[in-house]
Amino acid sequence: MAQMTGLLTYQGIPVWRHARILRWVTQIVSGFLAVVLVLWFFLNIGSAIQDRNIPYGFSFLDREYQTPIGHHFLPYESSDSFLYALGVAATNTVVVSIIGVILATALGIVIGVGRLSGNWIISKLALAYVEFFRNVPLLVQLFFWFYIFLALPPERDGYVFFDGLYVNNAGVSLPWPVPSDLTMGLVWLAVVLIGVLAGVIVHRILLKRETMTGKASYPLVYGVITVIAVGAVTWIVLMIAGGESPFVISQPAPQGTFARVAGGFTAPAGLLALLIGLVMYTASFIAEIVRAGITSVGKGQTEAARALGLSNLSALRHVTFPQALRVIIPPLISQFLNLTKNSSLAGAIGYSDLTNVAKTMTQTAPAVSIFVLIMLSYLAMSLAYSLAGNLYNRYVRITGA
Amino acid sequence: MTDDVNTGAASVMAPPRSEVGVIGWMRANLFSTWYNALMTVVSFVVVVWFLWFGLTWVFGDAEWGVIGTLGGQFIIGQYNTETACPGQNCFWRPQVGLLLATLILGMVWGVAGGGTAKRVALAVAVVAAALALIPYSFDRMGMDVRVLLVANIPAMFAGLALTRYTPLNQVRHIAILGVISFLVTLFLLRGIEGLPGMTPVSVLHWGGLMLNILLAVAGIVLSLPIGIALALGRRSQLPVVKLLCVVFIEIFRGVPLITLLFMSQVLVPLAFPEDFPQNSLFRAAVVITLFSSAYMAENIRGGLQALHPGQAEAAKALGLSGWQITFLISLPQAIRNVIPAIVGQFIALFKDTSLVYIIGMLDVVEIGRAFIQGNPEYLRYAKELFIFLAIVFWIFTYGMSYVSRRVEDHLRVGVR
Repeated sequence: MAQMTGLLTYQGIPVWRHARILRWVTQIVSGFLAVVLVLWFFLNIGSAIQDRNIPYGFSFLDREYQTPIGHHFLPYESSDSFLYALGVAATNTVVVSIIGVILATALGIVIGVGRLSGNWIISKLALAYVEFFRNVPLLVQLFFWFYIFLALPPERDGYVFFDGLYVNNAGVSLPWPVPSDLTMGLVWLAVVLIGVLAGVIVHRILLKRETMTGKASYPLVYGVITVIAVGAVTWIVLMIAGGESPFVISQPAPQGTFARVAGGFTAPAGLLALLIGLVMYTASFIAEIVRAGITSVGKGQTEAARALGLSNLSALRHVTFPQALRVIIPPLISQFLNLTKNSSLAGAIGYSDLTNVAKTMTQTAPAVSIFVLIMLSYLAMSLAYSLAGNLYNRYVRITGA
Repeated sequence: MTDDVNTGAASVMAPPRSEVGVIGWMRANLFSTWYNALMTVVSFVVVVWFLWFGLTWVFGDAEWGVIGTLGGQFIIGQYNTETACPGQNCFWRPQVGLLLATLILGMVWGVAGGGTAKRVALAVAVVAAALALIPYSFDRMGMDVRVLLVANIPAMFAGLALTRYTPLNQVRHIAILGVISFLVTLFLLRGIEGLPGMTPVSVLHWGGLMLNILLAVAGIVLSLPIGIALALGRRSQLPVVKLLCVVFIEIFRGVPLITLLFMSQVLVPLAFPEDFPQNSLFRAAVVITLFSSAYMAENIRGGLQALHPGQAEAAKALGLSGWQITFLISLPQAIRNVIPAIVGQFIALFKDTSLVYIIGMLDVVEIGRAFIQGNPEYLRYAKELFIFLAIVFWIFTYGMSYVSRRVEDHLRVGVR
C-alpha cells in the first residue's frame, strides 16, 4: 500500500524525459518496427508465391540446370545440377577476383610509388592515370575494352604471335600445361605445395639465423632452391614411375572449317576485358592508398635510412614500406572486396560470373532462394578476404619495442 | 676582440646557374640520378608517342559521327520519341528542369559570393547554352528548344538577382527552393493525365544523362541524412538499435549493387499487391540510395571515431543535452573531417547510376551500348563512343572532386 502511494505521488523526472525509460521505449519501438517491416515483406512475398504459383524452397538445387555456362574454370556439363552450376559460377568469380587482386595490387603499388617519385614526369603521369581511371565508371571502361576485343578480326583471320599466341575476337589463346594423367598431375601439384611450405620454413629459419648472428645466410636463395628441388625431384620420380612427364604443353591450333582455335588455354574476350577493366580501375584506388600510406610514415625514417647508407630503393623496401603497410592494409582489403563485388558487372560484357549465372537461373528457379544463396556467397568471400587481411595485418603490426 | 667579428654585411654569392631557373629545376626534378634521367627520357618518349598517336587518331582516323547519330538521346534518352511522347514535343519539360537547376546555381553563386560557386554556375550555364549551337540532331527538336537552352544563362543571372534584390539570400532558402525545383522537375517529366501539353511519359522512357543526374541528385540528397542516422545508430549504446544498424549496413555493403538492383526488380513486386503501381525508376532510386547510405554511414562513423572524446565531454560539462552535443558539436566536426570520403562516396554513387541498365533503364551508357549492339556496323566505332562517355563522366566526377577540394580549403581542414 505504501508502495502504491509512492508510485502515485512520484515527484522525480517525468516519464517522458526519464533517460532509462526512453531508452527502453526507443529500443522496443525500433525493434518492433524492424521486425514488422521484415515480416510484412517476407509474408507478402510468401503469399505472392502461393497465389501466383511461383516455385520456392531449395529443392531445385539437385535438379539439372540444363543451361550452358559460357566460360568455366571447373569442368561443367549442362546435365550438372543447379548447385554444381552455382559452384562453377562462384569459382569463376573467385578466380577473377584472385587474379584481379594480385595484378591490381602490383600495378597500384607501382603507380602509388610513382606518384611520390622525385621525377616530375613520372609523378605527373601517375597522377593523370589515377585521376582518369578512378573517375570513369567501371562499366564504361569494361565496355571500352570489351568492344576493342570484339572489333578484332574473327578466328579464321585472327592474329598469331610466336606461333602459339592467338588473338582474335573470341579472345586470346595460349599454350597451357595440362596433366597427362589426372592423378599424376594432382600428386605433383600436391608435392609442389608441400615444397612451397618447406621453402617458406627454410626461409624463416635462415632469416632468423641471419638476424641473430649477423652472418649472411641467403634465406631467399635457399628458400627458392628448396621449392625448385622438391618440384624437380618429384617430376623426375613421377616420370620414371609413370613413363611420361606429369604435365604436357597443349598448343592451341585452328581446327575445322571455321578455323576455330582449339587446345591450350583460351581466355574469352569477356574475361580479358573484365580483368583489364577491374585491374586498371582498382589499381587507381590502390595507388592512392599506397601513396597515403607512404606519406604517413615520417620523413625522418627515410632520411635516417639514407643516412645509414641505404639506397632509395632499399630505404623504401626495408624501412618505409613495412611501416606504411600498417596504414595501407585495412583500406586495401576493402578495395579487394570492392574488386570482388565489382566483378559482378561481368554480365554486362557476357562473362558468366556468379551474379550473371544467378540472374539466368531466376528464370527457372525461385528468385528468393537464389538471392539468399548469392548473398551468402558474397558474404563468404568478404569474410575470407577480411580474415586473410586481418591475419596479415597482425603479422605486420608493431610488436612491442 | 671585436676584430674577429665581421660586422659588415656578408657578401652573398649568387647560387650557381646550374642550380636555379629552368636548368636547376630540370636537374632537381628530371635528371637527379642516372636512373631518373633514364626514366625521364623513356617516359618522355612514351608521352610524345602517346600524344602523337592519340592526337592523330582523335583528329584523323577516329569517326565521331556515332556521337552525332545519337545526339540528343545521350541527354534525355527516349524521352522525346514518338512512343514516349506521342503527338507533341516534350523536349521543353526536361529543359525547364535544367533552367530551374541553373537558377538555383545562380542563387548559390549569390549566397557564396563568387569563388568556386561562381565558376561552377557559369560553367554549367555556358555549357548548357553551348549545346544549342551543336548542329547534331536533337530528336524532333526545333528552334524553340535551342532558345530554351540558351535561356540557361539568363536563368542563372535571374537566380543571382534573386539573392541580390530579394530577401531570398539564406542557405536554407536555397535548400528549400532546391527541393521544390527537384520535385517540380519530377512532376513535369512525369506529366499529368488530361492536361494539354503534359502527356504522361512513362518512367521507362526517362533516360540518358538526365536519368543519371536525377538518380544521383536524389541519392546524394537522401543518402547523407540516412547515412548519418545509421552511423549514429551504429554508435548507439542501445543494443537493439545498434544491432539493426549493423545488420542493415553489413547486408548492403556485402552484396554488389548490381545484385541488389536486379533482385529488387524481382522481389519487390512480389512484396506488393499485384495491382499496386510499380515503378522501376523509384525502385532503382531507393536501392541506390540505401546502398550508398550504408557506405556513407561507415565514412561518417570513421569521422565520429576520430573525434577526441574531450569534445563531447566539454560540451556535456557546459550543460548541453545529448542531442545538442551530437548535432552541434560532434557531427559538424566529424563531417568536416571526412568531407573527402563523403564526396568520394557521392562520386561513386554518380558512377553507380550507370548500373541501372540491369533493370532495363536506358541511362547514358546503356543508350550507347544498346545502339552498338543493335547496329553491328557501328561496332568499330565503339572505341569513340566509350571514350566520349568516359569524358562525359569524367567532367562530372572531376568537377565534384574539384568542388570538394575547394570546400575543404575553405573550411581549412587540418590547419587548425
